[in-house]
Amino acid sequence: MEDQDILAKFREPAARNVAFNQLVRKYQTKVYWHVRKMVIDHDDADDLTQDVFVKVWKHLENFRQDASLYTWIYRIATNECLSFLASKRRKFLLPLNDVGAELAAKVEADPSLAGDEIELRLQKAILTLPDKQRLVFNLRYYDEMPYEQMAEVTGTSVGALKASYHHAAKKIELYINGTD
Amino acid sequence: MKTPFRLDEHPRRSQPLAPPPDHYFNQLPLRVMQRVQTPVPAPGFSWLKALSAPLRTALATSVVLGAFAGSFWLSESGQVPATTGPADTLATVPHHELVEYLLTSEQRLNINDLAELPAVERVLPETYLQASPDELQAALDAQPTEDTYL
Repeated sequence: MEDQDILAKFREPAARNVAFNQLVRKYQTKVYWHVRKMVIDHDDADDLTQDVFVKVWKHLENFRQDASLYTWIYRIATNECLSFLASKRRKFLLPLNDVGAELAAKVEADPSLAGDEIELRLQKAILTLPDKQRLVFNLRYYDEMPYEQMAEVTGTSVGALKASYHHAAKKIELYINGTD
Repeated sequence: MKTPFRLDEHPRRSQPLAPPPDHYFNQLPLRVMQRVQTPVPAPGFSWLKALSAPLRTALATSVVLGAFAGSFWLSESGQVPATTGPADTLATVPHHELVEYLLTSEQRLNINDLAELPAVERVLPETYLQASPDELQAALDAQPTEDTYL
């Protein structure tokens, strides 16, 4: 179902729940993996994915279609992730590296990476990036999102995003080649 | 020599971490719908949720301070006027009633009353006892010492 149809249905009180259910089904996998790559832990990703859709429900009525529904939902998910990571640091008074180390420990314990040394090192290298740069890297590398859409999601210029991605890729290659 | 790692040559995994539990994506829409369908709170206080956290804190502080100020004001305004002293109370009693009471009742002035009375109302003993200070002093000195507590 197209976004326009979902939005039109959502505006009808009788069809609102059905439309929202369809919206969740359409975007849940993308939102979950976007969040999961940022917070690593499944339980955290589950909580945040639900929070994202609850926010979408609350604000969908006021969604003015300046951006596409897809990028709007991604923006909410991105903000939730960054807030979660920031509050995690504030709550435990942890510096940047300690949260990175905590996430790296979770990556090391991930069963799907067992035996895949280079993929494990790639994931650990990604975790050395600052949160916002990691977000840019994930959107471009894994989601293959066009820079124009990334600009809508992050509120950053296309040029800055390209530079950020380029630096992130270099840092990752340096990290992996340096840990050989 | 080992080939250096290059990101664009590395096979990309769209889901780089372990997948979520089985049927997770079948159940997620239901769980989300349960969260968005939770009953709304009583309308009387639903407007509180619309306020931002700092505004709610400020409102709570104002309510507490207001309650404190209100209770203080009420306690001030309800306060009974300052009670009059024993001399003022005694002054409101007509003198003839006072003498009548002393003469007819079983009440008797003791040495303590005589000692305290001049300090409270100097006019009263001078008016009704008809005695000079020397006579009073002599009368006081004549009292048995075991009754005096001066």
